[in-house]
Amino acid sequence: MRKLQTGRRAVAMATIVTALLAAAGCAPGGSGPATSAAPGSVSTDVAGAGKVTLKMSDFWGGSEQEWIKGMIAKFQTKYPNVTIERTQEDWGQLISTLNLQLAEADGPDIATANNGWQSLGTLAKGNLVLNLDEYSKAYGWDKLIPSTIARQNEFTTDFKTIGSGSLFATPVARVSLIGIYYNVEKLTKLGIAPPTTLAEFEAAAEKAKAAGEIPIGYGSQDAPTAVLLGLQALYADANTINNFTYGDTSVTADQAGLTKAAETVKKWNDNGWFSPHHEGINYQDAVANFLDGKGVFRFEYTGSLGLTTEQQGKFQYIQLPQASGSGTVGVGAAPAALVIASKCKHPDVAAAFLDFLMSADAAQASADNGLIPLLHSDVTIPDNQATLKTEAAGAAAIGASDGFVPYFDWTSPTMLDTLTQQMQMLYAGKTTPADLVAAVDKDRNAFLQQSK
Amino acid sequence: MSLLAARAVPSRDGASRTRRGNHNPRRRNRRIGLLFVALPLAFYAGVVLVPLAQSFQYSFYSWDGVSRATWVGLDNYVTFFTDPVLQSTLGHVLVLICFFSLLPIALGLLSTALITRRRLAGMAIFRFVYFLPQVLTSVVVALVFKRIYSPDGALNTLLRSVGLDALTRSWLGDFTWALPALGLIGTWVTFGFCMVLFISGVSSIPTELYEAARVDGAGPVREFFAVTLPGLRAQIAVALTLTITGALRTFDLVWVTTGGGPGTATLTPAVALYRAAFVNPQVGKAAAIGIVMAVLCLVIALTIQRFAERD
Repeated sequence: MRKLQTGRRAVAMATIVTALLAAAGCAPGGSGPATSAAPGSVSTDVAGAGKVTLKMSDFWGGSEQEWIKGMIAKFQTKYPNVTIERTQEDWGQLISTLNLQLAEADGPDIATANNGWQSLGTLAKGNLVLNLDEYSKAYGWDKLIPSTIARQNEFTTDFKTIGSGSLFATPVARVSLIGIYYNVEKLTKLGIAPPTTLAEFEAAAEKAKAAGEIPIGYGSQDAPTAVLLGLQALYADANTINNFTYGDTSVTADQAGLTKAAETVKKWNDNGWFSPHHEGINYQDAVANFLDGKGVFRFEYTGSLGLTTEQQGKFQYIQLPQASGSGTVGVGAAPAALVIASKCKHPDVAAAFLDFLMSADAAQASADNGLIPLLHSDVTIPDNQATLKTEAAGAAAIGASDGFVPYFDWTSPTMLDTLTQQMQMLYAGKTTPADLVAAVDKDRNAFLQQSK
Repeated sequence: MSLLAARAVPSRDGASRTRRGNHNPRRRNRRIGLLFVALPLAFYAGVVLVPLAQSFQYSFYSWDGVSRATWVGLDNYVTFFTDPVLQSTLGHVLVLICFFSLLPIALGLLSTALITRRRLAGMAIFRFVYFLPQVLTSVVVALVFKRIYSPDGALNTLLRSVGLDALTRSWLGDFTWALPALGLIGTWVTFGFCMVLFISGVSSIPTELYEAARVDGAGPVREFFAVTLPGLRAQIAVALTLTITGALRTFDLVWVTTGGGPGTATLTPAVALYRAAFVNPQVGKAAAIGIVMAVLCLVIALTIQRFAERD
């Protein structure tokens, strides 16, 4: 009985302490919205900065890792007084802990964040990363970066709007797109020319189905969204999709092409054009299956197939023009948003490195590593990179129409979950395209309401 | 200072009590005890109590984890109990409790009754084999079952080979079957644990009771309900507490196999918590989920304890 009493007393004490803590009004979190994160005077002089060591954390592996390693080596050769210590982390690991890492005294000076509210928006709002406006002026980034790409890294300084305002991160001289890959051998065997319009694509898929092939290699267990977002870009113009993503409440998801995209996806599913049992196939298996020859086409993020030199050319890339026939709009963004930590002691040197990652050198190094170059047109693509040639052509087509649209899931922190869940429900017959679109609107509006 | 020395203190002290009356040996003893536990207690406070208090505090705010939080009162808790998706996670947990707790305990009792009736050769091997899943890392278990349940996995291959093609499906991608499929993994994992626990419990039941029951003409079923089951009360309470709280906390299994999908068909509170805390910056909501789960675990543990101790 005695034990019970002391136990009760302890519980009561704990309750009182926590209640006091909560009531004391010491709200968790930083010192309110950032107002003056931009450094006062900036310099582009690196050689005169003395001995500088910068820490960098990024999530690049594979050929992206080769690219960044090469760029660091070149930068250090150019400026022997600078050392960049790079740490590579798993994507999810870095994104989910970046807010903690940047708040650490010995955290990274430069890091790769993800665009959108979840990652970059939260970091900017929390005053953890620098406002880069002054550097943008000093280096002329405002002229170098296409507006549709720059918007992806912009936030107003009251942190209510994404897609305009100050620059909080820079892209790199590379881009990642959503488009269609096809198996060259299969398409040739079927006697189909690579489709150049959506109508041709559907005809090709039908023909492939009739011939007993899987028209579209797909898995919807964990990552079903590429096909929906790829299609959405064919149905609405770039401005509308951009504005929807950046929180313009006068635009609805329906106007942003989502209803038509969802209807098309549903139709394709009903036609049996996707891999059978795709609801039980996860992303990695879906990629492996496609590379293994199961599937003629596949909607995919560029760079995600991980093609070996041997596979280069066996899979080629198509960026379809808009369904209406005019211009090309495509989902495309730099593969990361590079930020400078507010705690960085040498922001001038860090900014010079970011500038270096957007240079013509960086674009060429990108092509040499099999990655799609951006920002510079005078890049020579090596002859053994047959797939890259088609990918770069896709990027050029989008660039020509200034038709880059951001990943749709930047709209709100929960959008990717909502889209994934809704698509799985769509395939199971538990929701309709119209309800899917309504859920998307609801998700976005709830977020906009809350952030007001 | 050794424990023995500490124990020796009261007797010596007791002898001198008449002279220095204000030195109560018990009190002094307790003070020394406190001194001993001070460090561990401070450690415990640092890693458990403080974070707990912090979570409790966070749960009253809307916070993205970085910028300034805003006070929202009980909103996060209200959301947890009104949001249809979050509400459904509680339903999923109930289903998981059946598979993680009730089913393994029932199976464990049954197999214990069967095994302990006669001494079998190779008992140790039986125990080892059934206990094995408990030793495996849960992520490994999840990955293995992900393969087994996949469209071309072992389960569907087996069904096809016996002509049951109509039953094959993407087990983890199916809105109806994903949750039971996950649940059965839990049953497989916890069954061996329950059985080993019960077998060791049975060995402490006096054999006279069984002999008496047999003399009274009790059959195997009667014997089980009259002797074995009451004798295992303490073990059942332990098994219930561990497996039910385990079901409430289910995270790794779901995260690795389905991530909560398809749709939200296998979403558990722990997965929702993780998403809110680390994927989407809604720390306040995550903290509220955590607090509710902690309270539920506590209530369940206390309830089971009370039932187990009642005679």
